[in-house]
Amino acid sequence: MSENLIEVKNLCKRFPIKGGLLGREVGAVNAVNNISFSIKKGETLGLVGESGCGKTTLGRSILRLIEPTSGQVKFNGEDILTYNKNQMRAMRRKMQIIFQDPYASLNPRMTVGSILEEPLIIHNLFKTKEERQKRLYKLLEYVQLPKDALNKYPHEFSGGQRQRVCIARALAVEPEFIVCDEPVSALDVSVQAQVVNLLMDLQKELGLTYLFIAHDLKVVEYISNRVAVMYLGNMIEVAESHELYGGARHPYTKALFSAIPNPNPNISKERIILEGDIPSPMNPPAGCHFHPRCWMAKDECRMSYPPVESMSQTHEYRCYNPIS
Amino acid sequence: MSENQKILEVKDLVVEFNTDRGLITAVNGVNFEVYRGKSIGIVGESGSGKSVSALAIMGLIPNPPGRVKSGIIKYHGENLLDKSVGEMRKIRGNKIAMIFQEPMTSLNPVFNVGNQIEEVLKLHQPELSKEDRHVKGVEMLSLVGIPSPEKRYKEYPHQLSGGMRQRVMIAMALACKPDILIADEPTTALDVTIQAQILELMNKLQKDLGMGIIMITHDLGVVAETCDDVAVMYCGKIVEKSDVKSIFNNPKHPYTKGLIESIPSFDSTSGAAKGRLPTIEGMVPSLFELPEGCSFQDRCEFSTEDCRGSKGSPSLTKVNEGHKVSCFNPLQ
Repeated sequence: MSENLIEVKNLCKRFPIKGGLLGREVGAVNAVNNISFSIKKGETLGLVGESGCGKTTLGRSILRLIEPTSGQVKFNGEDILTYNKNQMRAMRRKMQIIFQDPYASLNPRMTVGSILEEPLIIHNLFKTKEERQKRLYKLLEYVQLPKDALNKYPHEFSGGQRQRVCIARALAVEPEFIVCDEPVSALDVSVQAQVVNLLMDLQKELGLTYLFIAHDLKVVEYISNRVAVMYLGNMIEVAESHELYGGARHPYTKALFSAIPNPNPNISKERIILEGDIPSPMNPPAGCHFHPRCWMAKDECRMSYPPVESMSQTHEYRCYNPIS
Repeated sequence: MSENQKILEVKDLVVEFNTDRGLITAVNGVNFEVYRGKSIGIVGESGSGKSVSALAIMGLIPNPPGRVKSGIIKYHGENLLDKSVGEMRKIRGNKIAMIFQEPMTSLNPVFNVGNQIEEVLKLHQPELSKEDRHVKGVEMLSLVGIPSPEKRYKEYPHQLSGGMRQRVMIAMALACKPDILIADEPTTALDVTIQAQILELMNKLQKDLGMGIIMITHDLGVVAETCDDVAVMYCGKIVEKSDVKSIFNNPKHPYTKGLIESIPSFDSTSGAAKGRLPTIEGMVPSLFELPEGCSFQDRCEFSTEDCRGSKGSPSLTKVNEGHKVSCFNPLQ
């Protein structure tokens, strides 16, 4: 439980913006800006933030689905950014991803059986047909789908069931690490809870490590051991999930928590309504990127980006005027 | 203007759709009322018929394949379903307005924002001069809290953020000071901090303008924070209806209870003390193969013989003052 499976150091991803007649670079978006963190074996790190904050880019950069600009991603102590194509292909067996939209991420022309079998063939895992068949049944058992699902096509399933197929596909190659990119956002409330439970059960059973990306703080807080909050490409606060609720130091984290509509009409809480929108990532404000929306901003916030401060071993934040 | 003025009454509304696989009843005998200055929330999962009910009020059910089979939608004593197309056009967008989920697809990308607000005024208030329309349009933009409205007035939808677009949608909907605003998942496509802004804005405008709001959403949190009354829909029927406090404190229908419990909460089990989330087993049945009796029977832990059709379908019955539930074995 104590060793780090994933260690990310100073990871950056910069997307250049080309424009003009000669296609010269006219600007850039720093989607992931010097981010460092680690995930322990068997742990779930939640990653929250609003749209455009870079959480998906970060998730994909770790898997090298998007090639990071600079930095290090260590998997079991080895820097996978130095791997060549062949080494990387073998590595991919150990790290998988589940996408947000189960309607778009399954090939409509393939049966569920062939969708689940494909990764086994690519990685040459279960060599005979019988072995593979057995593996497929096992996978369906993991995600609680009936055996006859193998011969059906994705359109015959509901959203929740399709997400189960996506989970089974990710599990097929026996990965150690799974990036869950908004796996429940497209699902109805009652189905969402089923999928969250399933992911938690599988983690226990198979000892998986998750990076759980979502914009729904309630779900993230529920499933994660630790939660990281991103704003415009920067990680602004990381803490154990129970520390974060109620103990948030960064004003943005606090505002994010307070913005969530509470399904309990008895509690009337103090609500912080942030002014304005997220600034364009092409041209982020100087200093702390959050200062134009922050009600506590002072002069120094406009000058330079706050350094990482640690409050305890598990709780770090980047703010000059943290909430006490 | 009395406190509890009923402005809209929907009675036994039935909406059917003809599909390749046969006839489905998307809305099956729905009843609710809208009062001046109050909000009613309609909650349900996808396919429960909440949006179709709203479209029926607006007279926007695509026909074919859909049609309103029976029912009454009473607005100021008149049945909207008896109105001609021309008469409906005068009411729609004028007295009853609607905002949609996706602010990008509901704005026309080739016209600037001001133009689109003016179009509403041109249709419903032809007596206004061009200048008056412009003044009013800018006024609407500042009413919905858009900074530098004069400048934004000439901008196109792609130049605005999601939250700003939704504000423009609200400005368009409110341009003619409607009696009723139907909001169909108005904040689903927005980020939480922007959602908080929009909900706050809607609450404020409701207080200022005194309109009735029908809030259609799948998010119980949104309902709890913005509505006075709630109707929970499941498979085309309202299964529970009450004021917002009683439904959250004391849900009577097993489905409502399941929905409320399946939302992770911050206050109880945080962090380390996590168990499994309570869930509703199974999934929403297809409208093509609804079971006899109660539609929820297969997912319900309390279902008995009565629920399987021997007593017909349960109907909305009063359990407490202002609290109705459609269940043979309501929770205590």
